[in-house]
Amino acid sequence: MEEKTTFQFMQCISLLKATGRKAKSVRELRDRISDVSDESIFHHTYQYFLKGNLLEYTNDFAQWAGESIEDNALSERLSNIDLYAFRDINSLRQELRKVIDEHLDVFPEPKEAMPTDEFYFNETVTFVFPVGTRATNLAEFLTALRYIDTASVYYHFYEARMRLGGGIDDFSRWVEEVFGKKELAGRIRAIDPFMHDLEEIKKHIIEEVEEEVRKDMEVIDRCLISI
Amino acid sequence: MFDQYIGISPKSDLILLQTLGERLHNRTFLHINSTREGGGVAEILQRMIPMLGELGIQTRWEVIEGDAKFFDMTKKVHNAIQGNFEDITQDMWQHHYEINKKNAGKLDLEADAVLIHDPQPVPLVEFKKGGIWLWRCHIDVSSPQQEVCDYLNQYCRQYDAAIFSVAKFARALPIDEFIVPPSIDPVSEKNKDLTSEEVSEILEKFQITSDRPIIVQVSRFDRFKDPIGVIKAYRLVRKYNDCILVLAGSPATDDPEGEKVLDEVREYAANDPDIYILLLPPFSDRDINALQRAATVILQKSLREGFGLTVSEAMWKGKPVIGGAVGGIPLQIIHGVTGFLVYSVEGAAFRIRQLLNNPLMAGEMGEKAREHVRKNFLITRQMRDYLSVWYAMENKGRSVLEL
Repeated sequence: MEEKTTFQFMQCISLLKATGRKAKSVRELRDRISDVSDESIFHHTYQYFLKGNLLEYTNDFAQWAGESIEDNALSERLSNIDLYAFRDINSLRQELRKVIDEHLDVFPEPKEAMPTDEFYFNETVTFVFPVGTRATNLAEFLTALRYIDTASVYYHFYEARMRLGGGIDDFSRWVEEVFGKKELAGRIRAIDPFMHDLEEIKKHIIEEVEEEVRKDMEVIDRCLISI
Repeated sequence: MFDQYIGISPKSDLILLQTLGERLHNRTFLHINSTREGGGVAEILQRMIPMLGELGIQTRWEVIEGDAKFFDMTKKVHNAIQGNFEDITQDMWQHHYEINKKNAGKLDLEADAVLIHDPQPVPLVEFKKGGIWLWRCHIDVSSPQQEVCDYLNQYCRQYDAAIFSVAKFARALPIDEFIVPPSIDPVSEKNKDLTSEEVSEILEKFQITSDRPIIVQVSRFDRFKDPIGVIKAYRLVRKYNDCILVLAGSPATDDPEGEKVLDEVREYAANDPDIYILLLPPFSDRDINALQRAATVILQKSLREGFGLTVSEAMWKGKPVIGGAVGGIPLQIIHGVTGFLVYSVEGAAFRIRQLLNNPLMAGEMGEKAREHVRKNFLITRQMRDYLSVWYAMENKGRSVLEL
């Protein structure tokens, strides 16, 4: 019973592995995207937010297109792909290829990257571990949120979407399933994962939970006054 | 020792370290390199080895011995890997192997995990007795002299995995290749907080006046660190801003070229009283710490670089750093956010002037630089990664490991 109602904060840390594969042009990028491992596609897309990048782009491919070969049109198109709209990595891989193919139809001879500025395909080994923080009610949850690391926010807010599917994250699922707080769950799910960095995501979730706790307190106050 | 990092390092790194320490409790971990002093590798090992022990892992650090011919040859290998042409004969490679064979006879190579640092001891893998063997390459191998790499690869292939500092250094090898950036120790003599009185005392010791902005580069006297380029940039700045330049570095026992480069630098400085060239003895960590803290702007104008840990050291002290866009420096300096990346003497001079004229911007950049280092380049993160590589190799084939 306790396990089901307790929120156990987890965190993940990624150990980077090189695949030895690289691309110096958009065509090579497209070809490599076709044949690298699922783990590599996952790392360069879903794990982008774990790296604490500035929010100019939403995945490594878009960042490389924008910064290393200065192809801003391709960069914008790649950044606009909604990673969470795909049911598996292969569907995402197909979309990435489609976007690049369409771009190549319009710009058949894009620039090449300078030596050592090529796109290096990596993958990761991910370590998932509890951070030793738990919450059994919303007030504890709010306190914990203020102290957890942003890598914990990544695990529960971004990585969870891949685990749970349907645009659902661990935080919103817990408040909905354990406390029946559908509205709060909806407000957390409405936070756009592409428009904020991890610190901002954390801040927004705290704001939503804080608001809910305040409302709950007001209800308790009213009940006490009426007694 | 481990407790010293509470409140400094990210909590998650400390939790994962303890968890991995429990999983690898009482297992043996052997590190081998070629020098006990001088350079970033030796510095970090001096700190890391006792801490790994505290985590319950039986850790040893061995250093191979070699003659002048061996170190001359390995310096050539180092330069060739970084892209310089070097003539390395079959006889030299044979000597490299023989010296390692001799060391293998003397050293106890038995351990559950063995981490070999850099090319000097790489042939030791021929004498592997068991356990997981990892080759740690600290050098920039992005555009090497190919035949030297090919020769080394015959040894690398025999390892279970290789570890590089930056993804673009990784090679097409038939073994697992991990990316682990190096790190600095925030509580070491070189990086711990100093009072302004302590900093002033050390400046006085070197007879450096603090009445003008101080530009500092700390690194070995090595052509790849471009000390002459730093003096050129300083001379361009002096046309507009009054300032002094400090070039400080320690000799390394495995670098026979250091003295020659130092002579060239002294000659180029031509007795300018505002250029301080300091050849610091090994273990001058406190002096380096004070020089970095006294600096207004810190340079690391490398032309080739393994990682360039002096950049993280300077950033940890809340200083804006101007660095050459090579090796691992772009990983540390986010251009325009935590410092500036430059590609020329002129670029370095322009950015120095910009920082000297905008103390507010320099201060904000310094703060962001410190936080970037805290999250990414402290020793606890590197230890965490080494243990993670070991643990990942023992659980090969799994991309997610729940602890």
